[in-house]
Amino acid sequence: MERVELNREGLVLPATAPNVAADHEEIDRTPVRTYWQLARQRFVQHRLAVIALVVLVVLVALAYIVPLVTGPLFGRTNLAKIDAPATLEAPLGYDELGRNTAVRLMKATQTSLTIGFAAVLIIVGVGSLVGSIAGYMGGIVDNLLMRFVDIVLSLPVLFIILMIVALFGAGNVWVVIIAIGITGWTLAARLIRAEFLALREADFVQAARALGAGHRRIVLRHMLPAAMAPLVVAAALGVADSVITEAALSFLGFGISSPEASLGNMLTNAQEYFYSAPIRAVYPGLVLVLIVLCASFLGDGLRDALDPRQRIGK
Amino acid sequence: MTIVSQPPIPEPSVSAAHPSSRPDPARTPLVEVRDLVKVFPVKGGVLQRTVAEVRAVDGVSLTIRRGETLGLVGESGCGKTTVGRLILRLIEPTSGQILFDGRDIARLSGSALKPYRRRMQIIFQDPYASLDPRTPIGDSIGEGLRIHGIGNPRERRAKVAKMMDMVGLQPYHARRYPHEFSGGQRQRIGIARALVLEPDLVVCDEPVSALDVSIQAQVLNLLRGLQRELDLTYLFIAHNMGVVEHISDRVAVMYLGKIAELADRSAIYRDPRHPYTQALMSAIPIPDPERRRQRIILRGDVPSPVDPPSGCRFHPRCWLRERLGNPEINAVEEPQLRQISSGQWVACHFAEESTRQLIETAHRETDGIEGSAAVIS
Repeated sequence: MERVELNREGLVLPATAPNVAADHEEIDRTPVRTYWQLARQRFVQHRLAVIALVVLVVLVALAYIVPLVTGPLFGRTNLAKIDAPATLEAPLGYDELGRNTAVRLMKATQTSLTIGFAAVLIIVGVGSLVGSIAGYMGGIVDNLLMRFVDIVLSLPVLFIILMIVALFGAGNVWVVIIAIGITGWTLAARLIRAEFLALREADFVQAARALGAGHRRIVLRHMLPAAMAPLVVAAALGVADSVITEAALSFLGFGISSPEASLGNMLTNAQEYFYSAPIRAVYPGLVLVLIVLCASFLGDGLRDALDPRQRIGK
Repeated sequence: MTIVSQPPIPEPSVSAAHPSSRPDPARTPLVEVRDLVKVFPVKGGVLQRTVAEVRAVDGVSLTIRRGETLGLVGESGCGKTTVGRLILRLIEPTSGQILFDGRDIARLSGSALKPYRRRMQIIFQDPYASLDPRTPIGDSIGEGLRIHGIGNPRERRAKVAKMMDMVGLQPYHARRYPHEFSGGQRQRIGIARALVLEPDLVVCDEPVSALDVSIQAQVLNLLRGLQRELDLTYLFIAHNMGVVEHISDRVAVMYLGKIAELADRSAIYRDPRHPYTQALMSAIPIPDPERRRQRIILRGDVPSPVDPPSGCRFHPRCWLRERLGNPEINAVEEPQLRQISSGQWVACHFAEESTRQLIETAHRETDGIEGSAAVIS
């Protein structure tokens, strides 16, 4: 029949044997860039994220090095120097007990960052575990886990944290970390679950199933790396959240209390002198804002950098 | 072309009577699907109760013979992709049997299914979504070998390199990431990944629909060459009748979760008997500006599979039924797939009536309608 032959004519191009690679004529000399090299290139394009990274690195370095060098100086009181003005060795002056404010601020930053990072480990760990199980299994497991998340979300978080801290020891850094961690994982769980629900049906995941990959391989090798973007966002928000929660906790007197230093208890102290020396609230407040902002910007940048579909601009 | 026909639904034969005894492998079809049903629940309300059911695949029976290419065509949403995924056990069948090499795999799971996973593979439609964007393509292609513990790392690398060569990729591509490739190249990567395990059956789920026309031909020819070389059996799912004609030995036409017609390629293209198939055939473009295309344009949309029409599913849109004066039987009794000639199976009460002459007269009459397309009503 005429039609049949015409169709065949139209479809078969001459001389296309399987081994003839027609869509690449010559060897492509562009260098092979690994996933991480590409991610770095994309990250560098993100100006704000780069600035945030630099600020955060400086802050972290100061926060962990200064207290190391100065030792117990952050808590040492000196009655002769109460409210003394700034000098070269105390660039931010002295507080109401004659403590070196700059050194104390660095120690406080260290405490807050430690709590923030450690709590985020719990948040991301629990969140991705619950979220990936719910999203991967679906059905009734998903339903049960997500209703549990709803319950946790409906609890007054600060109240629960206060209770845990009051029961297991106020002022203990680890109790504070765990209290923040186990109440804060719900957002991470929801983000990971949503991502997994979509990824479960993705062709490349189906391809892995068709190849015979087991659940563990599919989740760990294919789905979790692909869910990196929301995970990073959850982590960044988690750091910011945890630092703020710690500050609130210490402000209320349940977190880290004197003579230990944290941004929260520095704020509490500053509150008494709010009219006479408002600058004392500005120092810890500014550091707090810096940490939170940098964490968010960094999260944004990392999310874009880890997404291989993002193009590298000129 | 005379192909000895084999009924898609075999009469109770050796394999059915003695399910335990393995029948002669040369004579059993590679895949035999019996009465396959897949129902997707439609959930609604606060309690996520099932409020309706979509019968995506509603009693499909077909066989795929060793070494052949069975084309599976139909409109979007007719269930052809679901059939492919059911056979691969990527989704759970609601009921029915899937005999792979004589053994029912419809209820196997976990480790019992794994050896069968190795023997059947899939090539996806979308070459962009089907590759893990974070894995270099050499690792993607070799993943099946690692999963099934085939060879040591060096042997696996050699095998991946050989497979890449077979599909027309260069060795230095192995370390690159999917986003660095064009659509056609990605589809070659997908093919290599599917074939590295040396499967028996490959379900090609619209493998060329997303590609440029010139690349389509390359990929189709590649698939044909590999079939000969590696002794593959294809279930080729597509909506492009021209592509299916090019590659298939037999063709099954699906409509609303059921098979409307199943026949040898030559028969179905020369003499389609189901009025739906005839309408599909009339939609194939003819690359000849002199010839007037005689189209049968179907009225209305595909009905919802949530609530399929009674009797013959095609009857509300059937042009033949209207020409025959709307016989009652169409809306009442569901036509079974029956053999009307050697190698041709049709699910239509009036398959004998829908002859070529009738279509021609239908065309002639509607040709008279001025200007507008030939709507048969």
